[in-house]
Order: sequence, then C-alpha cells, then structure tokens
Amino acid sequence: LKPLPVPDARSAGYWEAASRHTLAIQRCLHCARYAHPPAVVCQGCRSAEPRFEFQPVSGAARLRTWTVIRQAFIPAFEADVPWVIAVGELREQAGLLLTARLLDGTKASPRIGAPLRVVFEDVTPGCTLPQFLLDERQA
Amino acid sequence: VSRRYAAGGQVALAGYAQSKIERRASVPLGALALDTARRAIADAGLSLAQIDGVANASLLPSFGAHGLIDGVSIVTANWLAEHLDLSTRWIAGYAGWGTLTGSMILAVNAIASGAATHVLVFRALSNPPGRYHDNAIAEAADGMQWTVPYGMWAPPAKIALPYMEYLQRYGAGREAMATLVVQLRQNVQRMPWAYWYGKPLSVDDYMNARMVADPISVLDCDIPVEGVAAFVLTRGERARDLPHKPVYVAGFAQGRSQAEPLMLDDIMQGGKALCETLWESAGIGRDEIDVPQIYDGFSPLVYFWLESLGYCPQGEAHRFIQDGAIAADGELPLISGGGAIGNGRMHGVPQLLECYLQLSQRAGERQLRRAEVGLACHAMPQSGAAMIFTADSH
Repeated sequence: LKPLPVPDARSAGYWEAASRHTLAIQRCLHCARYAHPPAVVCQGCRSAEPRFEFQPVSGAARLRTWTVIRQAFIPAFEADVPWVIAVGELREQAGLLLTARLLDGTKASPRIGAPLRVVFEDVTPGCTLPQFLLDERQA
Repeated sequence: VSRRYAAGGQVALAGYAQSKIERRASVPLGALALDTARRAIADAGLSLAQIDGVANASLLPSFGAHGLIDGVSIVTANWLAEHLDLSTRWIAGYAGWGTLTGSMILAVNAIASGAATHVLVFRALSNPPGRYHDNAIAEAADGMQWTVPYGMWAPPAKIALPYMEYLQRYGAGREAMATLVVQLRQNVQRMPWAYWYGKPLSVDDYMNARMVADPISVLDCDIPVEGVAAFVLTRGERARDLPHKPVYVAGFAQGRSQAEPLMLDDIMQGGKALCETLWESAGIGRDEIDVPQIYDGFSPLVYFWLESLGYCPQGEAHRFIQDGAIAADGELPLISGGGAIGNGRMHGVPQLLECYLQLSQRAGERQLRRAEVGLACHAMPQSGAAMIFTADSH
C-alpha cells in the first residue's frame, strides 16, 4: 500500500480542505503571507505569537521545475515507474511552492514556466491528494 | 567589526588515517573506527592518553528505513570515546548537513578556546543492507507528508529538481557533466584506496548510465560504501613539534538553509552568502586557492559550488569545466582528490583528506607543484560547510 499523509496539528486544515477538493494554504493573520508546507513561525513577520488560518487559493500555478522518477525507492510505487514530479509556484505569492505529480505524464515534455492547475485525486475515502495538470487555458 | 576568523592560523591538522573503502566492510563499523582512530593518533605522533577531545557527525544513512545502531550503522563521538577508553574533557556531535567539515569546525574552536588540546575528528560511513535509499514506509507523517505520498523520496530526486532548472535555464546538457565525472574517475586512478581505483570511465559509459530521476543518472551519484577516516588536530605551536608538517585552519563558513524543495535560486543565494563569509573569515580570496576540493556527492553540486565560489559567472560552470580546464595536473586541479564520485560515498572525507595531503606535502606522486592554500567543503552551498587551510600559519 502506498504511504498516505498523516495529518497533524499544523496540517489538518490542508488535508481536510483537500478532501473537499479545495486547495487551502496556511496564511499568517498578522502579515497575510502564505506558507507551504505550513510554517511553525511565519517567515514574513517572524511573530513569536503565530496566528494562522487555511485560506482557499486559486490552484493556478507556474511550473518551476520537475523530474521524471525512474527508480521507485519506496516499493509501493514500483508499478508507477516512470512518473513526473512537478514543483509549481502558486499564483498567489512568489516563491509559494507546491510539490505534486504532473498527471500529464512523461510524454508531455514540460517547460519551465508552463501554466499548471491543481486537480484533486481521491486516493481513499478519507484521503485526497492535490495534483497538477498542464493548463492550456492560462495565457 | 572585522569578519576575519579571530583564531585563524592557530589550530592545525597534525595527522590522519583512513580505512579501506569497500562496498561492505568485513568488520563492524565501530571496529573499523577504533582501528582508524588509533592509526590517526599514532600518525600524529601522539598517544591515546593525550587525546582530550572527540568530535564527529554521524548523520546518514538515515533516508531509508534502516535502524541506526551506534557502533554498527553509525558511530557517534561518544561511542568512539568510550570504546577507545579516552580521557576526554570535550565531546561534540555536529547536526548540520556539513557533517565532517562542520564537526571539524567545532573541533577547531574547541582547541582555539582551550576546551581541548588534542582532538580526534572522524567520520564513519556505513552502507545499509539492500539499496541505500529503499524505504518500505507505510505512512507519511511529519515532513514526509508533503512528498512521500507522491512517491517523491530520497536525495537523488531532490537534487534532480534544481539540476533540471539549471539545464533548462542555461541551455546545458548532460554531456557537459560527462567531462566532470570522467575527470573525477580519472583522478582516482593514482589513488589505490579509492573505490573506483582501476576502473576508469568513458564519456559513453556516463551518457549510457541508468537514469534515476531525470536528469540525475546513477553516475551523477556517489556509490554507497563503508569506510572511516580520522584526523587529529591541535594548536599550531604544538603541531610544529609533531612528526608531520602542520596544516593550519584559516577560516570557515556554514550554511543554515533547510528549505525544501531545493530550488536553484535559493541554492545560489545561500551559496553566495556562504562563500562571501568564507573569504572574509579566512582573509583569503578565491584566486589564492591552490587545492580546490569541492563537494561532489551529486555531480550538479559542483556547478553550484563553482558558481557560488565565483570561479565563473552563474550559469557558466557547465562551460567553464570543459577543454581540460579541470585536469588534475592543470591550472585548476579541481577535486584532485577524486571526490565522492571517485572515492565512494565518504561524505566530505576525500575533500578534507586531499587538502591535508597536499598542504602537508604528503600526496606522493600526486603532489601538486603549488599547494599553499586549500579549500574543502561539504553538502550544498546553501546548507553545508566550507573550510580554508593554509600550509603556513601566517
């Protein structure tokens, strides 16, 4: 079985939103900066009294980089070889990065800067993974 | 305020030893560490009773689902001090990515402050059963929840991300990297202790290597091995009474970033900051470096370090290394010690060892004509650690 995410006190809001097919990103209530993965302390205002909230974002992103995984390392992923991992920069904030699979697969020959959109893959009744697709609709 | 390292030139390397480097050692790692440490202390002309400090880093192999057993899969400074029955006043472990280099910086400062007089610094590497990064993980908790559910795992895939950026942004190809990997393999053909001794590599071998995570092939990664290296450090004036020519520590710098995913801009921004600190710390400039031993555990790290150190403009390293520019007997003997790609996954040992051997005039037939100033670094330029050594105490 593939390892599934284990939500914790800092990440539960993200995974709960994903299960409703919403991409929600942790946001600092002091300075409005987003962070992903969720931060312990905001790297914008560096407040020692952190206050965060998960807020929905558009799911629009640009491809920053990618790799084609050809050796699984984790046995449960052997049957998936090869697959594409993408790092997308979310439209809402420079440097706000999300790592997921690029579901277009290895034939897509993506280029850096290509527009992406987040889609949702229901893995189990309780678990949904945000994923990427190339998005032809974005200019 | 001067950013120069206040204790520059005060502490010196006095001796070393290195075990065999093998895929699987025939004795437990702890036993190999015991033997190597004893030989290093003897090489420095000291007795075990004179060693009053031990430092190391025991990080890795910790990416797979391997149990970490002290004395077996890792060796901590405490374990070695206890099993050598040393009378230590000072023991330290370094937790950052700079591992051996980082722990040597701890030792240098312990000696400079008077906390210890004769310090053993060592690195012991094991190669766990099965494949190094294999991990039959059942659930993805904590930091792993963001990557492992996607099958994103292990350093080769993490390094592939900024390397892909580099290739795309600067129009570089894998064939440019062949020059580096073939050269490093060539460099160890005069080093009988290296894992790849007797096994040179061709450009075709490199280009046909199995891909692990595009654009990283298996030959862009160092091969996991088992082995131990140990160094002995002491105050410079003490080292001058010992058998070997001392090699002095001029300065150092440490990165701090733990950010993932690894992105090219972050690496270069952190790397340039680290290198600026390094030059200021040592009061030495890049053009003074005779023995540049840059970390190469994954081949793209050499591009990142070369550009961070300012050997060439950003985006130019893939061209800079061509046309014999990095030949071991040329103007820039880049990683003349063969690095991790030539020696095996010894995590910064080949870099430090080559600096020591060249600056102490102990490199034998490989001795460089000019070896007054050396640079050794480990890990990535935004997260790792770098040191500058000198043959004179200045």
